[in-house]
Amino acid sequence: MSAYATIAFKPDRCNGCNECMSACAAVKGSAGQIDSRIQIVAANDSFELAMCRQCGDPKCVAVCPAAALAKNEGSGVISWDGGKCVNCLLCTVGCAYGGIVHNAAAGHVVKCDMCDAAVAGAPACVKACDQGALQFITSARIYNEVGDLEDLFVPGLSGCQGCNTELIMRHALRRVGPETVLATPPGCIPGMGAVGYNGLTGTKVPVFHPLLTNTASMLTGIKRHYKRQGREMTAMALAGDGGTSDVGFQSLSGAAERGEEILFICVDNEGYMNTGMQRSSCTPYGAWTSTTPVGERGQGKSQDAKNMPVLMMMHNCAYVATASTGFMEDLYAKLDHAIAASKHGFAYLHIYSPCTTGWRFPSQDNIEVARKAVETNFVMLWEFTPEAGLTLSRPLDQARPLTEYLKAQGKYRHLSAEQIVHIEASLAKNVAFIEKLAGPRKPATAQQAAVRA
Amino acid sequence: MKIQAKPLFDASTIPGDLSPIATHLNPMLPGDWRSMRPVVDRAKCVKCAVCWLHCPVQCIVEKPAWFDVNLATCKGCGICMVECPHRAITMIEEQS
Repeated sequence: MSAYATIAFKPDRCNGCNECMSACAAVKGSAGQIDSRIQIVAANDSFELAMCRQCGDPKCVAVCPAAALAKNEGSGVISWDGGKCVNCLLCTVGCAYGGIVHNAAAGHVVKCDMCDAAVAGAPACVKACDQGALQFITSARIYNEVGDLEDLFVPGLSGCQGCNTELIMRHALRRVGPETVLATPPGCIPGMGAVGYNGLTGTKVPVFHPLLTNTASMLTGIKRHYKRQGREMTAMALAGDGGTSDVGFQSLSGAAERGEEILFICVDNEGYMNTGMQRSSCTPYGAWTSTTPVGERGQGKSQDAKNMPVLMMMHNCAYVATASTGFMEDLYAKLDHAIAASKHGFAYLHIYSPCTTGWRFPSQDNIEVARKAVETNFVMLWEFTPEAGLTLSRPLDQARPLTEYLKAQGKYRHLSAEQIVHIEASLAKNVAFIEKLAGPRKPATAQQAAVRA
Repeated sequence: MKIQAKPLFDASTIPGDLSPIATHLNPMLPGDWRSMRPVVDRAKCVKCAVCWLHCPVQCIVEKPAWFDVNLATCKGCGICMVECPHRAITMIEEQS
């Protein structure tokens, strides 16, 4: 069993230009838009899509009396075999999505074959859409690669509903694998039961609970001990932004300076969320927290956030990167790079983790908030190695309006116009700074192209 | 000569049952937190695994023709409903 790539349609981004239909007709040699295998249909004030979805349990395949339609177990594409087809058109009745229709010019039914996406990169219609209404979603690749690996946390962790940190923990530790010693300083990660209580543990690998101050130094000792024993393992830290940028910074900075072979993952939810949402040095300007309240005197945090990943880059670590759960393929690629780098030096991964409880938004919007943070440039995705310098994982020149991100969260509800101007101004400075570090634009790598799509 | 730490004792003499390390996995299941339950429309699911990718609890399980939810651990956050590119998941209220 496996998962498959799919074409997704966002009606709110479609402007009805029909470029996708022209592109499909051109690639498939159809007469024109009318014979295209993708059809955009105007409906009321919106648009609807009629094309083959490559269903999990395809009705067209079930009703075909000649076995001319079959679902490919590898690619998931439903293929049509002209040699077997008897032109009964039952499949066109079976499909509820307008995905297989009779083409008068061809004299038989036609349907989308995803343009053999493994060769083409993405189907022609998706490539032709410059509004982002059609998206080629290839994250099934991650499932097929790691879906069988064991989740190394217990099924029941008491993170809040929709906790992004829990999502990061489970994906990260599964990828790193069982030959790991995990350190989680005080914060949401041990708080939700990763280190356990009363003789019970929440993690299936050796895990310990250092102080906020000494995560990196304790891991240093553990890694050196295993190395002396000649045992291959990953010394991994999962720390919050407090345990990284405030209280844990001294030992972290020391370990990075010494080039200890550690994988240090900072899960940045911009505050001490576990103890009641106090501000940290990663809390952005203007944000409400329980220690930067909103009232007569205060209007949220009055200082800008510390740029923690840049600080770590200045340690000249073997690998530094920022990632977001809104862009999982990018996150997985960076995890792989970080794991490889931790075998010969200090690897630091800074993953932004929107907090449904502390940032005040509904739990189901968590990934949407993470995505908006990146799309508005509030969070910039990049990676750094001493050899290649800083490389942007996603271009910064097509940012969506920052207010889309700010309005998605209750912690910014009180912002005045002046405060928004302040946030936009410091964001522009940050973007210019990162762009300067990234230098003149280099040709996009395959990974960057995937993130953009 | 470089100073090296000496072993304080022979580790093999430590009784095996002395360790304070937790050895049992926490059996808690958060399925009963839920007020809303995700329901997958099997006809709409195309098995793209986006729900699995973004599920914080990792409670999405694969079936032959669709992805389903393990309700023993699902906390009902609704991320899968928002993220599903084919809108195959709806959240319905839990009844007693």
